[in-house]
Amino acid sequence: MQQTPRRIIYFVVLALGLAWMLVSADRSGVSTSGKIPAPQQGFLAPDFELKTPEGETVRLSDLRGQAVLVNLWATWCPPCRAEMQSIEKAYQEYKEQGFTVLAVNMTYQDDPSAVMPFVDDQGLTFSILLDETGEVGEAYHLQSLPSSYFIGRDGIINEVVIGGPMSEALLRTRIEDILR
Amino acid sequence: MISLFRSIFAPPRHLILLVAALWLGLALAEKRTERHGISREALNNIVFYSLFGYILGGRLLYALSNISAFVQSPLSLFSLNLDLFDPLAALGAAFIVGLIYGSRKKLPFWSTLDALTPLFATLSIGLALSHFAAGTAFGSPTVVPWGVDLWNATRHPTQIYELIASLLIFGWIWSRKAASRPGILFLTFAALTAAARLFLEAFRGDSTLVFGELRLAQLLAWIVLAITLFASESLRRVAKVD
Repeated sequence: MQQTPRRIIYFVVLALGLAWMLVSADRSGVSTSGKIPAPQQGFLAPDFELKTPEGETVRLSDLRGQAVLVNLWATWCPPCRAEMQSIEKAYQEYKEQGFTVLAVNMTYQDDPSAVMPFVDDQGLTFSILLDETGEVGEAYHLQSLPSSYFIGRDGIINEVVIGGPMSEALLRTRIEDILR
Repeated sequence: MISLFRSIFAPPRHLILLVAALWLGLALAEKRTERHGISREALNNIVFYSLFGYILGGRLLYALSNISAFVQSPLSLFSLNLDLFDPLAALGAAFIVGLIYGSRKKLPFWSTLDALTPLFATLSIGLALSHFAAGTAFGSPTVVPWGVDLWNATRHPTQIYELIASLLIFGWIWSRKAASRPGILFLTFAALTAAARLFLEAFRGDSTLVFGELRLAQLLAWIVLAITLFASESLRRVAKVD
């Protein structure tokens, strides 16, 4: 192809690209679907209401205004067990700044009698919730354990970490993000 | 079928698709490398060292940018958590390591990039598949009949669009007999990829916005497109003068 026609084609391509960029600009100002509940970064964290082993009811949406880590776990899952001490340490370090942990045990696929002995043995002080029917597992499209959702003060999921165990540095960086 | 695929390659298993694409892409690049004047050994070495740079650079630069977290638990530097990683910094580190290796071995810059192009094109396909498996790089809500249900809405299947574009670009690159001038094959791949991103980003539901409403990825893709078109024109002009 001759040099001049090719230059004209390049110019037209760039002009069309620029026009497309302007035409397809997101005028709503928000590209992510921040108000639709879904277990994905940028979405509103799906709400749930569960009981603790002591019978107290905890609802996620009641914690709006706090930075929340929702951790889905089971006693038979080695990486879940391995990361609990790091989560406890992070909870102790950041709870005064408005950070809280909801450790949701997948009770419907776990041995319910093993939950409290494990919690006591590990000395965990954050909230343990029991998902006896699998509603949270379903709402969060659970595929692997552990699964962790770092939720900002506005209730929007800031980061999803699938698998584990999470290291202390990973917890610190993510918690500091959601506390901002 | 789609749900089976998503179930098999649900995160973190979606990374298997990227590793498979890397392996396949390297095998394909090896087949054609000698037509660009690059030996198979040199190609394998540059990929190996760049990969090493990618992994090491991604973790170290992430640690440096979150230094306070790592000072309190330095052993986290060796953690198997894939999330302790800066992918953009990793790409930069891989490029620098590849550049150092290439200049030490006196590999011709443009011919080396041409030889690596089938690998880049295959990685693009792997990336699209991994997005599809993980449900990331998702589309905006739509009413088109081919919309898919994802994250509690019917959305543009942007991962499928991305996959189709990557396959077409790969097909075009692979069907080229031989590059007329060193660098043209790579620049064509880069220009097509940038053009595809510029077009397809408009259907994404997770774009980062700049200047209020412009999509950052489109802006960057437009700049890359302009640079690649300008560079290919310059290469042609230099070749003509020679």
